[in-house]
Amino acid sequence: MRLPQKKLSIRIDGELISAVEGQTILQAAKANGKYIPTLCDLEGLTPVGACRLCIVEISGTDRLFPACTTPIQDGMSVTTASTRLAHHRRISVELLLVERNHTCAVCVSNGHCELQSLASAMGISTVRFAYNYPKLGVDLSHPRFVLDHNRCILCTRCVRACADLEGAHVWEITSRGIHSRIVSDLNQKWGESRSCTNCGKCVQACPTGALAAKGCAVEEMVKRADNISSLVHRREVQV
Amino acid sequence: MPRIQDIGAFSAVREAGLAKLVPAVPRIAIGMGTCGRGNGAEGLYHAFAEAIERSGINVVLASVGCFGACFQEPLANLRLPGFPLVILHRVQANDAGRILHDVASGSLPPDLIYCKIEEWDHITASIKYGRGYPEIPLWNEVPFFKGQKKIVLRNCGFINPDDIEEYIAIGGYQALYKVLIDGRPEFVIEQLKASKLRGRGGAGYLTGNKWEFMARAKADHKYIICNADEGDPGAYMNRNEIESDPHSLIEGMIIGGYVMGASGGIIYIRAEYPLAVHRLTRAIDQAREYGLLGENILGRGFKFDIEVVEGAGAFVCGEETALIASLEGQAGRPRPRPPFPAQKGLWGYPTNINNVETWYNVAPIVTRGPAWFSETGSPKSSGTKVFSLVGKVTSTGLVEMPLGTPLKTFIYDIGEGGIGGRQVKAVQTGGPSGGCIPPEMFDTPVDYESLTQLGSIMGSGGMVVMDEDNCMVDVARYFVEFTHSESCGKCIPCRVGLNKSLRILNRVTEGAGTMHHLELLDELSRYIRECSLCGLGQTAPNPVLTTLRHFRTEFEDHIVSGRCQAGVCEELAVSPCENSCPLHMNIPRFLQLYKEDRLEDAFEAVIMDNPLPSSTGRVCQHPCDSRCRRQTIDEAVNMREVHRFIADSILLSNRYEHMVQRILVRRLEHTGRKIAIAGAGPAGLTAAFYLAMLGHDVTVYDAKPEAGGMLRFALPEYRLPKSVLQREIRLIEQLGVKFVFNTRIGFDIPLNDLDDRFDAVFISIGTWKESWVYQPGTELKGVYPALMFLEATARGEEPPIGRKVAIVGGGNAAIDSARTALRRGADVTVFYRRERKDMPAIEEETQAATDEGAKFVFLAAPHRIIGDAAGKVKSIEIVKTRLGEYDVSGRRKPISTDDIRRYECDAVILAVGETVDLDFAKASGLSLKESGTLDVNRFTLETSRSRFYGGGDVVTGASNVSNAMAYGKQAARNIDLQLMEANRWARILPLFDYGNELPAEPSPNHRHAGHIPAANVRVRSNAEVVTGFTHEETLDESCRCLRCDIKVANVS
Repeated sequence: MRLPQKKLSIRIDGELISAVEGQTILQAAKANGKYIPTLCDLEGLTPVGACRLCIVEISGTDRLFPACTTPIQDGMSVTTASTRLAHHRRISVELLLVERNHTCAVCVSNGHCELQSLASAMGISTVRFAYNYPKLGVDLSHPRFVLDHNRCILCTRCVRACADLEGAHVWEITSRGIHSRIVSDLNQKWGESRSCTNCGKCVQACPTGALAAKGCAVEEMVKRADNISSLVHRREVQV
Repeated sequence: MPRIQDIGAFSAVREAGLAKLVPAVPRIAIGMGTCGRGNGAEGLYHAFAEAIERSGINVVLASVGCFGACFQEPLANLRLPGFPLVILHRVQANDAGRILHDVASGSLPPDLIYCKIEEWDHITASIKYGRGYPEIPLWNEVPFFKGQKKIVLRNCGFINPDDIEEYIAIGGYQALYKVLIDGRPEFVIEQLKASKLRGRGGAGYLTGNKWEFMARAKADHKYIICNADEGDPGAYMNRNEIESDPHSLIEGMIIGGYVMGASGGIIYIRAEYPLAVHRLTRAIDQAREYGLLGENILGRGFKFDIEVVEGAGAFVCGEETALIASLEGQAGRPRPRPPFPAQKGLWGYPTNINNVETWYNVAPIVTRGPAWFSETGSPKSSGTKVFSLVGKVTSTGLVEMPLGTPLKTFIYDIGEGGIGGRQVKAVQTGGPSGGCIPPEMFDTPVDYESLTQLGSIMGSGGMVVMDEDNCMVDVARYFVEFTHSESCGKCIPCRVGLNKSLRILNRVTEGAGTMHHLELLDELSRYIRECSLCGLGQTAPNPVLTTLRHFRTEFEDHIVSGRCQAGVCEELAVSPCENSCPLHMNIPRFLQLYKEDRLEDAFEAVIMDNPLPSSTGRVCQHPCDSRCRRQTIDEAVNMREVHRFIADSILLSNRYEHMVQRILVRRLEHTGRKIAIAGAGPAGLTAAFYLAMLGHDVTVYDAKPEAGGMLRFALPEYRLPKSVLQREIRLIEQLGVKFVFNTRIGFDIPLNDLDDRFDAVFISIGTWKESWVYQPGTELKGVYPALMFLEATARGEEPPIGRKVAIVGGGNAAIDSARTALRRGADVTVFYRRERKDMPAIEEETQAATDEGAKFVFLAAPHRIIGDAAGKVKSIEIVKTRLGEYDVSGRRKPISTDDIRRYECDAVILAVGETVDLDFAKASGLSLKESGTLDVNRFTLETSRSRFYGGGDVVTGASNVSNAMAYGKQAARNIDLQLMEANRWARILPLFDYGNELPAEPSPNHRHAGHIPAANVRVRSNAEVVTGFTHEETLDESCRCLRCDIKVANVS
């Protein structure tokens, strides 16, 4: 039996909002129709606070907090949009765009890409930093799916979807820093992975064209990340 | 040995330990930390062991940890029964025999003595060694230890870290016993809170509060962790503490385990510290054996154990959440907090993590109480902190000082300043997460808040000193490279942001940076600091932000002038000597040309880099010498003398006219532009030379009747014969430069007039005004400002100076005046308010003056000059000074005392510095700096008035010939660039094809020096003192060059 949840009052961008204890700022904001940009967050997966797009200001402190992992406190006053936040978020997106080879015109996710939509929503038409142009491979070994490292933003949504939902733990990150890469199993080819169940949850969770179904045209490759969320939701209800 | 279960057993162990620590026979202990071993302590130990066995002398030989003075390694300590403990330094293996011999006869090796200790406070107990040896300084009378207070390092260097009995002998585990007997954990927490001990890992959170939080947490398991993952470059405090005294850590942790109710303790230590791991593991085994760890500790029914886990060396694992991940067998990546480890830590259980040093402070606080502890340090930061003082500082090592001690105490008192008197440029605290602090801020007290205010952090205690050989852009680049390669890659700001920062910094050090890059770098750094997930990313931009804030001019130098003053960024320099030369002469080129027997080419190469080569060949302060890499083999190449020989061989010979024709050929077509130069000193002459070569019509005005400025009127004949200078000026005249003498700009010709008649004006009027400090008696007959005296002498006059001359000052003008007066047979005494090493005069000149018989009185400032009835100087009174606080230049400020002394004299020459003629400055209407010098753009040399440029001493204040000439060169280049709107500079510079082969073997010859007659001979004449090289010597010296200018060598 669930105990009745304690209600808390917080302010988001000045508006008084009622939320439930234990919620993060992001959850409370979403529940009240407030938009905070995110990339690594996906409802239903454990938040990791990696992309730093959901940073918000909390009055009383100069520091910035990721909305996805910061629990709400009664009386908290949150600002989700300001010049400073917009400025920082813009740099984050710019950095992602120069880190790897995001060539939208030839990407299967063109038009359905979360990174692309964010960039265009922010009005990013040029970047101020030099492109890295890393030489990265594409893993075509899986019969149904492809992994294109060129498009990967290391959000680890695939890693968490596979571990948290499917329980298969196929994906992990190898190396560190700028050399970090997604690997399947112990750095084997995806097609040779023995733990992969071919369920495709990772593909649906992926915000960019890094993971995609084979044989799909651009118009067909629409990801259903909301399926992941509703799957989690339905499981919770059954319990 | 049985398990210690009661006080009786405790005492028995203690007695056994004391018998080893303070035996009835002599004891020799060798410092065997990693630092000692690296300097040969192991060999020393074996040498002693052998010698003892051979001789059969009854001596106890022990191995101990490090006492902290790393620059004096290998350290050993020696004690004869009943006498003080004597610390020996720089002991070598072959000293063992004679030391033992001395010990047998009850004496000490005099040359190896560093200091003595009569009584040592181990905090938990104290040891009285005995009194004696009045001639040996006490440990805290030695500069390196003065003011140090050893709480954390209380046992380091005294006890054998491998022997628990010695630790118990100095009161070890007594605090634990007290806590267990007392049975009130909350009382210990109260004590810690009252002591205001703050976490020593860097963040400075109050330890008492942290412990209380943990003690209150309810869970099946609780863990305490010691963070010994010390990974900052240049920091080794924790390594040394564990190597020297592992039991203090273990005791602190057992107390913590009891107080916080933990079920287990873990020490997470770097695998790169094998000796520390070894000693720690051994100490834990011993503690278990003695009943201090495991079941039923000290018979009080408390169960606790400690496990050592070796970290794989990732820097990020020092971050607590990454450390926990690493302990759980996952990749070391941090996770967001909350939840904090105290809520959900290792395996999901409450966990308390403290730094090594924090644990070391526990037993002392329990033993002596919080009031005693908070006596030391500043109000907000109590206690002491251990720092590893390293880098470009004379004395390096581990320094434990009360918190709140000013930075300059560390650098100048303990560290004894820069190496070889070099000027300290910055100190970097807190490792890659910290920042660089400039000398203007060395007054800052070292505590958590003050350092944070400067954009740095205290961190775990690294303190890296940098001097003028360090490039601050490169320093920033180095640290970013480090954090970039250690970033875990989880969050974008740290992973990609640092990657982009590094790329920008790389571009700047390669000379490909732009000013826009700097703005971007600043913006990016602030973003990384505010947005990163963990402490690594949040602090990684600190080195960049602080260098941008405090050393912005160095960034600008790299970008705008493509120069790295420190000579670190190799892409920006031909060679270290070229980089150090204010005129940037291509030194390896003329050395090679001379080697190839191409004298005329060599001359052309020299004069096109430096239009006054014979004069500078004599009087330049030759910074190139100190940068020459040949010094690593023997001594620097004598580049100045070679260039003097090359210049003299042409200028003073019959090949002169031929060479003038050759240079005239290089002159560019006539432009019709007219340029006026005010001041015919080195800066003005240089500008005139280049502007004439560039095809302009140049007129030089000077207030004096002849050209040459300071070279002509201040430098004495014996240093620079005027005939030499005359030749150089003649060459400039032959290029078509017109001279107008006895004309003062701004007075005889108004600036507006110049503005109308010329296309550009270069002002280089120098500093001809004495910065005359009025003192009682300066109006007397026989008191001369140095410049006036030297100028009169240069004109051939002989101002009356009598028999005894007093000179006040320590610069080149003082020494020139002294040597000039000596040549007139006077008895000369120089009074200087600081010490000899602080004198700004060229060292060789001071030495020459001393050899010629000048007397020096240091720490003496003028008080008043006393005259006789006729108004003539009779004597001078000086006030003795003492040296006080350090100033920004790293020298100590002289402070007057009450001690006034009188010296009889017939003349007083005041050489207290020269300054810009303020009359001119005011009349000109040009904007000035606070110091009264002309304010110009650092790169273009433009003044506040358009088309007016300034350079030389009038901009820098009194400096030297080559610096002034560098301004002339820079001005010519900029004036031409702006007048002609094209870069024509390269067109006048000659290009030569010359050998680009590295010497197979460095030439075996040693450095040649110019020839100097004996002091008693030269002092009787005004003839030039230093005569130049012969052809053979010049060739020899040229062959000594190692050709650092060859960047890519063909290695077969």
